[in-house]
Amino acid sequence: METNSFDAIVVGSGMSGGWAAKELTEKGLKTLVLERGRMVRHPDYPTATKDPWDLPHGNRITQETRERKPVQSRTGYPSPANTHWFVDDLENPYVEEQPFDWLRGYHVGGRSIMWARQSYRLSPLDFEGNAKEGWAIPWPVSYEEIAPWYDKAEIFAGISGSKEGLAQLPDGHFLPPHDLNCVEMEFKQRIAEKMGRKLIIGRCANLTAPLTHNESPQRGTCQARNLCIRGCPFGGYFSSVSATLPSAERTGNMTLKSDQIVYEIIYDNEKGKATGVRVIDANTGKQSDYSARVIFMCASAIGSAYIMLNSVSSRFPNGFGNDSGELGHNIMDHNKPGNSSAQVEGHMDEAYTGRRPNGFYIPRYQNVGKDKRDYLRGFGYQGRAQRTNFARFNNSALIGDELKRAVREAGPWTIGMTAFGEILPYHENHMRLDRDRKDKHGLPMLVVNAVVRENERKMEKDMTTDAAEMLEAAGYKNVTVRSDNFNVGNSIHEMGTARMGTDPKKSVLNKFNQVHACKNVFVTDGSFMVSSACQNPSLTYMAFTARAANHAVEELKKGNL
Amino acid sequence: MSIVEESPEMLQRREVLRRAAWLLGGAVSAPAALAILQGCSAKDAPAAADWTPKFFKGNEAGVVTAIADIIIPKTDTSGALDANVPAFIDSMMADVYASDAQQHFHAGCAEFEAATQADGKAFLQQDRAAQTAAVTQALEAAVAADQQPRPFILMARELTLLGFYTSRVGITENMEYQAVPTAYHGCVPLSQMKKPVYWE
Repeated sequence: METNSFDAIVVGSGMSGGWAAKELTEKGLKTLVLERGRMVRHPDYPTATKDPWDLPHGNRITQETRERKPVQSRTGYPSPANTHWFVDDLENPYVEEQPFDWLRGYHVGGRSIMWARQSYRLSPLDFEGNAKEGWAIPWPVSYEEIAPWYDKAEIFAGISGSKEGLAQLPDGHFLPPHDLNCVEMEFKQRIAEKMGRKLIIGRCANLTAPLTHNESPQRGTCQARNLCIRGCPFGGYFSSVSATLPSAERTGNMTLKSDQIVYEIIYDNEKGKATGVRVIDANTGKQSDYSARVIFMCASAIGSAYIMLNSVSSRFPNGFGNDSGELGHNIMDHNKPGNSSAQVEGHMDEAYTGRRPNGFYIPRYQNVGKDKRDYLRGFGYQGRAQRTNFARFNNSALIGDELKRAVREAGPWTIGMTAFGEILPYHENHMRLDRDRKDKHGLPMLVVNAVVRENERKMEKDMTTDAAEMLEAAGYKNVTVRSDNFNVGNSIHEMGTARMGTDPKKSVLNKFNQVHACKNVFVTDGSFMVSSACQNPSLTYMAFTARAANHAVEELKKGNL
Repeated sequence: MSIVEESPEMLQRREVLRRAAWLLGGAVSAPAALAILQGCSAKDAPAAADWTPKFFKGNEAGVVTAIADIIIPKTDTSGALDANVPAFIDSMMADVYASDAQQHFHAGCAEFEAATQADGKAFLQQDRAAQTAAVTQALEAAVAADQQPRPFILMARELTLLGFYTSRVGITENMEYQAVPTAYHGCVPLSQMKKPVYWE
């Protein structure tokens, strides 16, 4: 008979859940991984090998998809090549008191399949900012403490990049960097000379060379297709489906169940511990309980906080581990209010071959060293230069053979970049449950209310004007600044809903991601973040998850959990 | 745990892909695995011959077909009609564009027909030279006017370009398309290439 009892339960199978599963199973724990969505197995990705002509509608999103997925599609991410990775919004509603772009994929692997693979360490500057500036609460973890876990995450996942010696963006263990293209190299040189700014190649979780370990025989090197969002049958980039879950599976200690919606953590008052989780089968509605000695919440910042808010008991009347009142609060993301681009003259006999799944990165320089600004923190830029394609003839009267010949010539270069800015944690930016309204599973409706505020607004000006200044300083023409109305969530870096801290009155988790008031529950997705920095956060979730899982195993051995 | 039923074809494809991925993890060259993978790409789109418009009404299919053929004719290489561009435009208008754009397209096509009437002959009754002159004139006027929403002739043009240059013949005959490039080289002389590579 199938058992419902395990050593460990991992809720969620995405970026964090995969790492929790790998670490716990490798340390010998019988581990149940529960995923609310459908099964996905490497290397089965339905659109991964489709050529452009195999995709319907020129890969443009249809009205039917827009109607089923109004939130997902308003962001511009879904297309026929990848829309199967994005949830049906009509079946998965939530209440937006302020516009909130909640981009989700309910399937094994979660958003680790669709992520943009940018992988950066947070720096001492980031971990110390809150304490130095007296903002919110201090991080309970220093850069030095987490650095070895960044090493571990980078080596296993395979992160390509260049060593730069920047204090605000620490180097790590890198596979060879992608090339900058000819125009990007020129841009790098010009902004260095004229403005003292640094441009580097993006650090990304694509294998530019074989991994330096033998733990992932199912993975091959990146083939420069740049179709990563569809899933890569080569295993050329890191996802939990291609990397961590196969490792967990090979131990023989993992049980992975899909279509299982965890909606509650079960708390035992007498033991003072969590004993398991409650689950609804997404297809049949059947309810079951699973028990374990330790529980890892890896359901995303919104997902994990939702389950915890929904887990009320006499001990935790306001949600699981919510003695501080901070559970569901301090939602952060990265502010992305626009895009700057320009036309590049010349370089007509220069090109690139292959399709690079990566761009350039301009690390944060504001409030670093002597560059002081009238706001806290800062932003970084991601961008790329490229040659234009046939669409440059959309507004043209050229026809016939002349047009066909013109398209066969490589088009002029363009360059564009987008700033990602730190968002401070604000208690007011929050989510909660509306128990009077239910979803199709009979679970309470999620309500989200999060906006950017004064510090972010001040920073926005520099995010656009600095980009325009750099493009102009480099001599590029027709510099265009496009302002977007940014909704929190749009950068898909939502975090902070169960922050860690040393003071249980002001935080939900301790420095090892354990719920202060219930030490056998760990929350290791973006929920734990105390500040957002401006770097893409996934690598940080990997490092903290690995550290927490190893701590959990040690504590179990000591009999402390 | 739910078990997804898989067709024999899907199972076979999965096995092939699994083997390709394993090969790549080992020492075998990427092009070898590429050959395996390319064997799995989807079949060609069905032939042009018979399609029933979902969106086009009255003369629209004929007008759009003529415009697409004039913009990208068959020359020493394939043209828009070889790539089923009229059917592509019909499905784009039916499935991708919102109702206001659809109305704009219908009205714009009627206006185009009215404006191109010459010597008592409707656009569709004119010879190719007259039609080409009419399309060129409409394009030049629309480009000069630079109006939003985009006029019918520019919608038709944009969709002709998109449909053709995402089609198999449009891509493979005009660009150096590699499904699996295997590597990225950031800065190389364009003069070494016979055709431009397939730009994303």
